[in-house]
Amino acid sequence: MMGGLTHKLSRDNLKSALGKENIKSKLEKIPLKEKLLLAASTIPFIAASTVSTSCATTCPYGMVNDPFPGQCSRYMDVGGDGICDFSQATPVTTTEAATTTSTDDTTSTTVESGHGNGANTEGSVPDQPDTNATVVQDSPGTDSGNLGGDGDNYLVMPISMLLIGGYLITHFLFKKGILKRNKHRRIWNLLLTTGYLGSGGTGVILAVLINMGIRTALNPSLTFWHVELSILMVMGTLIHLHIYRKPFRNMFRVLFGFKSNSRRRNPSRVEGTSK
Amino acid sequence: MVYDMILPALPFIGGYLFTYSLYRMDLIKKAFHVNIWNFIIGAAFLISGGVGFILLLFMEFGVKLPINPQLLYWHVELGVTLALVTIFHFHTYWKSSKTMFFPAKRRVKA
Repeated sequence: MMGGLTHKLSRDNLKSALGKENIKSKLEKIPLKEKLLLAASTIPFIAASTVSTSCATTCPYGMVNDPFPGQCSRYMDVGGDGICDFSQATPVTTTEAATTTSTDDTTSTTVESGHGNGANTEGSVPDQPDTNATVVQDSPGTDSGNLGGDGDNYLVMPISMLLIGGYLITHFLFKKGILKRNKHRRIWNLLLTTGYLGSGGTGVILAVLINMGIRTALNPSLTFWHVELSILMVMGTLIHLHIYRKPFRNMFRVLFGFKSNSRRRNPSRVEGTSK
Repeated sequence: MVYDMILPALPFIGGYLFTYSLYRMDLIKKAFHVNIWNFIIGAAFLISGGVGFILLLFMEFGVKLPINPQLLYWHVELGVTLALVTIFHFHTYWKSSKTMFFPAKRRVKA
């Protein structure tokens, strides 16, 4: 009896809470700015899903038929054909005698047209313990990459969106008083420092290697991380400028005498230098 | 192509030492010294980052222009400047940088 009543009450409460008018009035109470911030906080999740898809499918350096041992640490050869799976359209399995083809007609066409570089694989194909010819089934998860692949090489958009979303979240938390100003600044300053150190470090190493004429298998990896960390650096700098927008505006006033529209602050404070 | 690493850095090292010594001798205000170097780091970032971004776009879209090696050269040279001026930036804001890496200890009531 009591259980039924409680159940009914809670159901009624739930119904009234989920009522159209109730939700509408609640939504109207939320300011537009907060709505926008909440909507923007979904960006990281969208970006994260994009990252996982683009990472899994193609060679991040846009290489085609990269032979063993591969130009980077991501070398993967499930099929054992001596060519990195990321750099080819479809991973294939080879035997001592011949290359096998898939059951799918379209796939076998791709294999034939995509692997004409026999010189690269010669002598580099590891011995196969299994002499039986196996057929590789195409999975949509690994075969959706493009051979040209230039558009997905560097994760510019996903990382930018992740950072913007992250900043909007911490900014929202800071505005709500959940996150302290110092902590909020510290997080973004540390990320910016990571970006500068990483980008600068890899850039200097690359420049030194180029100057000395050293070409290693690490070069593509270094270039990749140089670009990725530069994205962090650029986005971090833009966020840094937003966090320190008042000193930034004062910089133009101090150097070029531009008038700032910002309110007058404590005159005893030295403007444009404090952080 | 060989990149100059030391040569473009020298005027900036000299310039920073110069303005820093002027500020220490009270010949210029601290705000002026700080803002000059903030402006320089901003300019280096804009040029180096901008050129890097243009190169990235060219690479993504497969655009090959005869100006690309020149762009890459200036991207590297200004990147070296940017890295150097970033060190100066840390020096200028050393107090807040220190608290960023090592949080200030909580004061214990006596």
